[in-house]
Amino acid sequence: MSATQSAGERELAELIVTALNLEGVTPADIDPEAPLFKTGLGLDSIDALELALEISKRYGFQLRSDDENNVRIFSSLRSLAAHIATNRVTA
Amino acid sequence: MSAPEAATLPLFVSADAQRPIAWRRGAPVPLAEFRAHVAAVVARLPKQTAPAAMIDLCEDRYKFLVAYAAALSVGHTVLLPSSRAEQVVADVANANVGSYRIDDEAVDAAFAQGSSDAVNDRIPADLTAMVGYTSGSTGQPKTFPKLWRTVSGSNARNAQAIRAALPDKTATVWVLATVPPQHMYGMEMSVLLPLAGDMAVHAGRPLFPADIAAALAELPRPRVLVTTPVHMRAILGSDQQFPAVDVIVSATAPLDQPLAAAVTAKLGGEMVEMFGSTETCVFASRLTAREEQWRLYDGVRLEPRDDGTLVHAPWFVEPVLLQDMVELQPGNRFVVRGRSSDMIEVAGKRASLTDLTKRLLAIPGVQEAAVFQPDPDAVGTIRRVAALVVAPKLTAREVLDQLASGVDSAFLPRPLLIVDQLPRNELGKLPRENLLKALRRE
Repeated sequence: MSATQSAGERELAELIVTALNLEGVTPADIDPEAPLFKTGLGLDSIDALELALEISKRYGFQLRSDDENNVRIFSSLRSLAAHIATNRVTA
Repeated sequence: MSAPEAATLPLFVSADAQRPIAWRRGAPVPLAEFRAHVAAVVARLPKQTAPAAMIDLCEDRYKFLVAYAAALSVGHTVLLPSSRAEQVVADVANANVGSYRIDDEAVDAAFAQGSSDAVNDRIPADLTAMVGYTSGSTGQPKTFPKLWRTVSGSNARNAQAIRAALPDKTATVWVLATVPPQHMYGMEMSVLLPLAGDMAVHAGRPLFPADIAAALAELPRPRVLVTTPVHMRAILGSDQQFPAVDVIVSATAPLDQPLAAAVTAKLGGEMVEMFGSTETCVFASRLTAREEQWRLYDGVRLEPRDDGTLVHAPWFVEPVLLQDMVELQPGNRFVVRGRSSDMIEVAGKRASLTDLTKRLLAIPGVQEAAVFQPDPDAVGTIRRVAALVVAPKLTAREVLDQLASGVDSAFLPRPLLIVDQLPRNELGKLPRENLLKALRRE
């Protein structure tokens, strides 16, 4: 069984499924601790680009990938949601 | 016309020890420092004679470049697997006796140890300098070996095409690439340009618009951004402010004129789109924001045939047949009239998938479209084409109604699906399997 999603994680899961048109994926079913890229949801760098655009529109900040935290931030729904919670500009 | 076996070509077009070859950790890397890094890696390479081949798995572009130069300097071929997935790399390794792997960690270890040896910078013209592998839209992986004289020849022209678009033709040119170094386009524009093209490349590989802007801001001008239509759409869609760019280079997928114009309006500079293939490397370019015709590189000749176009270039081992149908125009120019494999036949009528795609894109509200044959080899059925269309404000019915005004009903896509985005892979291409999956709504 997947771990329980927090409210922020659920919101992000919904954004991911909608923005990337992941037909057949239910936001509530995304395991917050499973990898988003490659294995897990199987997203690729183009998905990452799409996601970054949606995140900047929704949360008002630009994602960066070239810092050392990159691997950690994108490792799971949970870590990406935490990164957004820390950096979001819009309420 | 082949060069004598003993002939060599330089590894560095400019051997000036102070000329910058890269930008790393916020500072230029002069050629002298680069040579020392190459020597350090050479000292740790397997001491084997041919056949020896390096599988360059470095993630860091600078380390990739150093490892590549080290391999060439000792006469090793560099193999470029189509992905870093373990099975793909293992297949390439197993198919090449005498191959070995190198990665960032190994290069770091070599840097730490160092070497005071001189680097051989005369490379045999007929050395197989790289072997590209493509997974292709169909079928088994194919290999594309390239001789050093072939890649040197085409890259000298790539450098000319970029410099021609700059106001100052002699300035040190700084390149930032959003594409990985291990595929042919990234290889040509971010690995070979610093060697055979005398330009300096940023070590990074920025992905998001904010990363691209930050990396560009580090570089002196003139700046060249090597990218793809997919990355450019992301740049246009973001609120990110960008420092001025002098030349934007695009390849991997056709770039349309409105996107080219919008990107140059946002970033500044000139859009130079490259035309080529894994088989040929780049052999023509155009200024897409301002012209439709491609301009052939000096010395290249095209020979239209029934089954495609034969490309002749002085740096090729032999002429290469491309699937593209072209129309030659005066002044070494040409326009693409569709790919012969894109010519489809339905009930005895012929049409071009490229043409159908263009017609879809011409419908107001259609942003992107891909037209393809889901099952081109099926017998006993009417060969319908299918289409994926990005058109947020239109229904499939509305798009089909518009298309029907200019297209024989035999070529109206069935199904035509409205999708949020085309199923591009990480290079921005549309592999057949992705199209089929999207069609099955997977």
